[in-house]
Amino acid sequence: MDNITKEQRKAALDVMRATLAADSKFQTHLNACVKCGLCATSCMYYIAYKDPKFIPGRKVDLVSSIYRRYFTPEGKYFPALFRAKDLDAKMAEEMVDCLYGGCTMCGRCVKHCSIGVDVAYIVKKGREMLAAMGLVPKTLQATVDAALNTGNNMAIPTEEFLDTLKWMEEELQDEMNDEKANIPVDQHDKKIMYTLNPREPKFFPLSISAMAKVFYAAGESWTLSSKYYDVTNYGYFSGNNAHAAQIAQYLYDEVHHLGAKQLILGECGHGSRASRWEGPNLIKHPYDFEMETVLELMAEYIRSGRIKVDKSLNTTLCTLHDPCNLVRNGGLLQEMRFVVKSCVSNFVEMTPHGNDNFCCGGGGGALAMSEYNERRLKIGEIKANQIRATGAKIVITPCHNCVDQLMQLNHTYKLGVTIKTVAEIVADALVITPAAAKPDPANDTATSAAGHSSEPAEKDPTLF
Amino acid sequence: MTVTAWISIVALVWCFVLFLSYLLTLIRKGKPEDLSQKSGNTAKGILYSNTGAMMPNAKESAYMHLPTYTAGIIFHLGNFLSLLMFVWVIICCCCNLYTPAILAWILAACLTISSICGFSIFVKRAFSKNLRSLSCFDDYFSNGICTLFQIAGLLLMLSQAGPLAAHASVLLNVYFIVAAVLFFWMPLGKIRHLLYYFSARCHLGFFYGWRNTWPPKKA
Repeated sequence: MDNITKEQRKAALDVMRATLAADSKFQTHLNACVKCGLCATSCMYYIAYKDPKFIPGRKVDLVSSIYRRYFTPEGKYFPALFRAKDLDAKMAEEMVDCLYGGCTMCGRCVKHCSIGVDVAYIVKKGREMLAAMGLVPKTLQATVDAALNTGNNMAIPTEEFLDTLKWMEEELQDEMNDEKANIPVDQHDKKIMYTLNPREPKFFPLSISAMAKVFYAAGESWTLSSKYYDVTNYGYFSGNNAHAAQIAQYLYDEVHHLGAKQLILGECGHGSRASRWEGPNLIKHPYDFEMETVLELMAEYIRSGRIKVDKSLNTTLCTLHDPCNLVRNGGLLQEMRFVVKSCVSNFVEMTPHGNDNFCCGGGGGALAMSEYNERRLKIGEIKANQIRATGAKIVITPCHNCVDQLMQLNHTYKLGVTIKTVAEIVADALVITPAAAKPDPANDTATSAAGHSSEPAEKDPTLF
Repeated sequence: MTVTAWISIVALVWCFVLFLSYLLTLIRKGKPEDLSQKSGNTAKGILYSNTGAMMPNAKESAYMHLPTYTAGIIFHLGNFLSLLMFVWVIICCCCNLYTPAILAWILAACLTISSICGFSIFVKRAFSKNLRSLSCFDDYFSNGICTLFQIAGLLLMLSQAGPLAAHASVLLNVYFIVAAVLFFWMPLGKIRHLLYYFSARCHLGFFYGWRNTWPPKKA
């Protein structure tokens, strides 16, 4: 890396200064680490590589050493005594390698830290500093740019998206033997605006029809947006909060534009986090509509009897991968298990699981950063071994990011398993009787809906 | 009161003032404002963060590293005991009191064990490749000065209990000098975690409590 400029350094230090001024959290965690090193064995990167640079405390130290150098008198005057370091090119390079390429921000080390240092939070702040310096890895930035410029991170053209929906709708109608079974698009004043991970229309369209089947069985009033359906927010991982806020704003505005009452976050761990927990903080005000994950929605359907499921329809031995952003960082440990255990008759937990789960290895934007593919697959061996030890033939996870990584692990480590989303498992267990299915009569089909409103209401030539 | 006693008291005041300023800064800045809709109970999260989450069976840093964890706990107990003992020693100096022999023996025994633990942690830091890569002067010095403070206290108690009575005056002066260095260093180095540890536990409890992760639910 070439030398960093004064402007870059100033931009990074301004981020640090602003974060320190905002509240006591940053100052607390920067000063709390005692460098005991006991966090090492909780980190997938350290377990896989045994390299001290991957010790979580070391990642904290990268950021805290800059804090000491520029924001404490002792670090300013006696840097060697307190490991206070200049923010120079070497430091920036090390930060990029360790904070983007050596951490999925899964937060496993946080729970197990002897002190309680929020390592993932510090890593996020470090990424924000790097983003201010313009040092976001190019591949990750490209993903963010795609979302900013096209409305979805895979830059799927609207026509292609609508074609996929049309195809899935026909599949759904065939399966339900009901022409009214539909995948509504751009319909106004529905109860729910549902969101997708762009991987679904691009690679896993059956998960869309699976969720459509669940909505069909529940008689739900719902719609997709043809323009802003992307639940993901890689701006959260890049560290550029302005970008993250813009992406969050897209969804917020689209809910209002369509007049939906509720935003349902599709099966994506970080996407759910970025909207549910970070969204209001990014756009600086609370959301004025209801918002929950599709897991919670399906749990409500099952509890209320709005859909009927028969676990004897899923008899193959299943296990569950806990997405870090939904479980440890999202509190959905029990909801997820309630849904899954209602739909499968043969279930086994991984060891460890729940709040102690290991990341799939593709979190934190790792899946989008091809620079670190080798590392991603290497740390993923831990998850692969966990899966193999269960003996399960199906791995269920409510996160398309995890699905993608697990499929690659399945191939790389020859696990011989099938990876499914929770919606797919629920759809497989659905008991749909003519009386049970109550399709929303107001829903038009994807074709007609798209035909009616394929032109976005506020057409922006820069978007498509 | 000897000159060294006064020096240690001045250092203690310095330490207290700086820690107070850190604390007031934390209070002034407050907790992060979270605009998301709360899902859990932050009070229960903070309570759990400071209780159940600190149990050895809840953390890999404890149950996967039991010898180090145990040594760390004992060392920290020794540190708190030493700080209390310092107050007692100052009171004794002011009021011409002496530590009862039985109490002096008990304190000496406790400090022997805790200082051995402190020393073992120091040795581990010096010889472990991982820890060396994380460490700087402050890490060694902070550990060393705390251990030395415990040893100085241990020797002082032995002088009051009998065996080292002949060196009581020297040991008392050494004790105060070590205490002064410790108090001077405390707010500058990583011993600051004495304050930030509690703040970190509260922030973590708030974070996980808000999101309904803590207190943990059964899978």
